[in-house]
Amino acid sequence: MRVVVVGAGPAGMAAARTAADAGAEVTMVDSEPDAGGQYLRGRARFEHSGVTHLKNVEAWLVEGDTLHLRGPRQLRFDALVIATGAYDRPLPFPGWDGPGVITAGAAQALAKQGVTLGERVIVSGTGPFLLPVATALQDLGATIVGVYEANSPARWLREPRAVLANRHKISELASYRKVLSRLETRTAVIAKHGSRVTVAKLDRHWRPVSHRTEHADLVCIGHGFLPRTDLVPNAKRTNDFLDVDERQQTSVEGVYAAGEVTGIGGADLAEAEGVVAGAAAAGLEPPAEVLDAVRRGRLFARALARAHAIQPGWRTWLSPDTTVCRCEKVSLEDLADATGMRELKLTSRVAMGRCQGRICARNASDLTGVPFDGQRRVIAVPIPLGELAELPEEES
Amino acid sequence: MTSPAQPPGAHLPEHPDFLWDNPEPKASYDVVVVGGGGHGLATAYYLAKVHGITNVAVLEKGWLAGGNMARNTTIIRSNYLWDESSGIYEHSLKLWEGLEEDLGYPILFDQRGVLNLAHSLQDVRDSVRRVNANRLNGIDAEWVDPAGVKEICPIVNISPDVRYPVLGATYQPRAGIAKHDYVAWGYARAAHAMGVDLIQNCEVTGLETSGGRITAVQTSRGRIAAGKVALCAAGHSSVLAKMAGIRLPLASHPLQALVSELLEPVHPTVVMSNAVHVYVSQAHKGELVMGAGIDSYNGYGQRGSFHIIEQQMSAALELFPVFARAHLLRTWAGIVDVSPDASPIVGLTPVGGLYLNCGWGTGGFKATPGVGDCFAHTIAHDKPHPFNEPFTLERFTTGALVDEHGAAAVAH
Repeated sequence: MRVVVVGAGPAGMAAARTAADAGAEVTMVDSEPDAGGQYLRGRARFEHSGVTHLKNVEAWLVEGDTLHLRGPRQLRFDALVIATGAYDRPLPFPGWDGPGVITAGAAQALAKQGVTLGERVIVSGTGPFLLPVATALQDLGATIVGVYEANSPARWLREPRAVLANRHKISELASYRKVLSRLETRTAVIAKHGSRVTVAKLDRHWRPVSHRTEHADLVCIGHGFLPRTDLVPNAKRTNDFLDVDERQQTSVEGVYAAGEVTGIGGADLAEAEGVVAGAAAAGLEPPAEVLDAVRRGRLFARALARAHAIQPGWRTWLSPDTTVCRCEKVSLEDLADATGMRELKLTSRVAMGRCQGRICARNASDLTGVPFDGQRRVIAVPIPLGELAELPEEES
Repeated sequence: MTSPAQPPGAHLPEHPDFLWDNPEPKASYDVVVVGGGGHGLATAYYLAKVHGITNVAVLEKGWLAGGNMARNTTIIRSNYLWDESSGIYEHSLKLWEGLEEDLGYPILFDQRGVLNLAHSLQDVRDSVRRVNANRLNGIDAEWVDPAGVKEICPIVNISPDVRYPVLGATYQPRAGIAKHDYVAWGYARAAHAMGVDLIQNCEVTGLETSGGRITAVQTSRGRIAAGKVALCAAGHSSVLAKMAGIRLPLASHPLQALVSELLEPVHPTVVMSNAVHVYVSQAHKGELVMGAGIDSYNGYGQRGSFHIIEQQMSAALELFPVFARAHLLRTWAGIVDVSPDASPIVGLTPVGGLYLNCGWGTGGFKATPGVGDCFAHTIAHDKPHPFNEPFTLERFTTGALVDEHGAAAVAH
């Protein structure tokens, strides 16, 4: 049984370990030099005699039972586990494309390497992820001007089941106490010009009701996450995230998914999903207590998605000349009415550039009301033409 | 009037939204053109401009120029083998040469020349024959040896030690590329200005005939009576023609293309190679545009198989080793509708007032002005223009074929 796991974060590592323990021949592929993923960057050690860990290599196509990697190199599999995680979704506002604005994920990745890009820092967006980012930057000596959460914590009062089932999450808050005093809710950065940052109080739809000016040289934004699902463009999904059954199998037979690709629920849930996916991929029945943990975690993940959902009022933050797509320099006023993403792309060129729409496509869809098509591409990441040319001929 | 200091269209707004409007369809039109791609828009434009027929609607099931017009690799040339083909393509090229002024709109037509490479002795013989045939028809054509190829396009690998060595090429200096979107927008704007209704999101679902004559089209936005109906729907023409009881000898295939990231200008011309199924140019903005061979299966899906791109790339990089590290950004596919002799079908049908324009295979974009002009003439006079007279539907029963498999440059 050959199991290939893409991604070496909490979900990927758990899947690889579990599948190898079950006797499968496991290869874990990851684009980073070390295991751990974004969450455990620099803090994880992965060693398992039954797992071949391919580092620093990107996967770019699933073709039948073959995974294509940069190099070029191919891996045959009987089961595939997608544990590729998610990336930040930044919402545009005037000045978001200028210097001094980065995603919260990028800020955290740099912080884990001991780097902060600013001294006076604002973290703005929605979701519990903002707190660890602010804490990490403060630990590096940055002054936290504010941590702005666009939603209201009162939303969590509607989720008693999820909170009770995941009580340990509340204790995590204590570790962020140093920045909790800087936390303001129903608040967001809605413009930045040089070091002058416009901070607005929002209504529940995220429409600004008042604003003030703060000074900061770094604004870190994170308005939730989008899953990295490019390798399985045809798998079914709900709200951008991959649909999986109770054994973590996607709608494509033999392709499993674990971790943030199925929904944002934190490292514990990702790891539990990894165990389930790894067991199922290796042909075993997943342990009942882990299936239970997944069910519990999902309650929390769904509550999180509801409590920190993006509200439509953000669309009022933009002015007509605000850039939506940075690669192709498409601003809000360039986005025409369209019936689908293809038309929108062809008439405005939004999402046609180097980032392949990862940053802008979802936002362009929300701004125009055009249904999002999930960016379905044959080849998941830009690869050199030379590697395509080197691929072995088809066996026939 | 455009002043000499300003290029055509410099005064126009940049965005196509302001170049035409979205009217509600009227109850009837003198002519209904089905298909709002390059051919449909050009046909409507010449109907209005040359023949004064302005009570015209162009019906498009999606959005204007969102089909093959948005998906082709924009190569324009006229060096086809047979008199019939070179006639209509050269007519088209001459119109291209004046199109920017004619439309008053920038189309970035750039006559940077096209090289068609020869890789075998048979290729060489065929190519030289084609050069001679082109010259007899007054088309600029040259045979260049490998050193000449290198001089025109220095990045081509002319080493004899490769799988498909370059033994020479035909060269048409007047050939080139244009910006496909701008061409469509230029035609749409000019047609709209003369009174043509451009109706998007309007799918034709039926054709009504009475006494052997077309009377109306049924659409997703209601019935529209029509004096004449002109089909410009590429591969979907066979679906439409069937509604009037006409069976077309067309096969539709995916044809893939790709673009790289943006690069500094490195590729001064257009290089095509029939033997290795590849054609390469560098668009104005800097991305390499590469076309592949067709996928051999039939279908209307606008995506192709991965192995075609992969094989094309191994061939392309033998010719252009310099591109090996350029990153691929996007791949996509258009649908080529191919007739048995790889030549188009343009003309009358057994149904009175119903006209046919399809089967262009890989030649559709370059033919846009030429066929627009000739098809408009055919519709206005109910009689083919001399340039499209050979391209009847009947030729597949009479046998008067125009076999352009060779010069179509991509194997069909």
